[in-house]
Amino acid sequence: MPSTFDQVATIIAETCDIQRDTITPDSHAIDDLGIDSLDFLDIAFAIDKAFGIKLPLEKWTQEVNDGKATTEQYFVLKNLCARIDELVAAKTAGA
Amino acid sequence: MQLEYFQLVDRILDLNTEAKTITVEAQVPKANTIFEGHFPGYPLMPGVLLIESMAQSSGWLLLGLMKFERMPFLAAVKEAKMRGFVSPGELLNIEVKLVHEGSGYAVTDARVKVGGKLRCNATMMFSHIPFPNPDLRGHMDAMAKRIGFPQQVLLQ
Repeated sequence: MPSTFDQVATIIAETCDIQRDTITPDSHAIDDLGIDSLDFLDIAFAIDKAFGIKLPLEKWTQEVNDGKATTEQYFVLKNLCARIDELVAAKTAGA
Repeated sequence: MQLEYFQLVDRILDLNTEAKTITVEAQVPKANTIFEGHFPGYPLMPGVLLIESMAQSSGWLLLGLMKFERMPFLAAVKEAKMRGFVSPGELLNIEVKLVHEGSGYAVTDARVKVGGKLRCNATMMFSHIPFPNPDLRGHMDAMAKRIGFPQQVLLQ
């Protein structure tokens, strides 16, 4: 079974037409990969569907805007994947 | 349908918050200056306006599901297909289903039928935010009344 990162990297590559081998766990979705907010909505939709979760984008954005979090915490891919794993685990635990 | 005011939905026939679907009607006007250019001697409802009609129908569904607390804005049109011509005077039946409810965004599937036959369809993405000002909220409330938005939906 592919890792969360592999799945997310494939989604990003296909959604944003970015070469798969340029996407690494340390890539920042916005600063390194140049993904804008609209493309990120597409990615969120694909991730939501693939993992059966609901990425809390609004909450994350609010936290960044309020200075309570950095974009790195949510948009560096290894961190994003960790959040996805947490959401999947929470969903599984609640099921 | 009041093309001059970009009001493309005439009536809400059904809004089901459990199934997350809406069905609306929209009467294409028999005459409009748009048809003089699109196309001379062969008037057709422009595809972009059919897409807008699906977007507005989706918007009413989302407004209902979010109980008028947030306003949806069209963010992306995907897989739009114009399957047949729509002519002046035809009555559109537009069906929309919510496909996905994300955080701050939603995805719908919309279909436009005339006489039971599919004329176009699209998958659409919307971002939604709290109403940016009271004027817009007031305008949407008035519009909802005009097109028969089922107010009981807001009490559920």
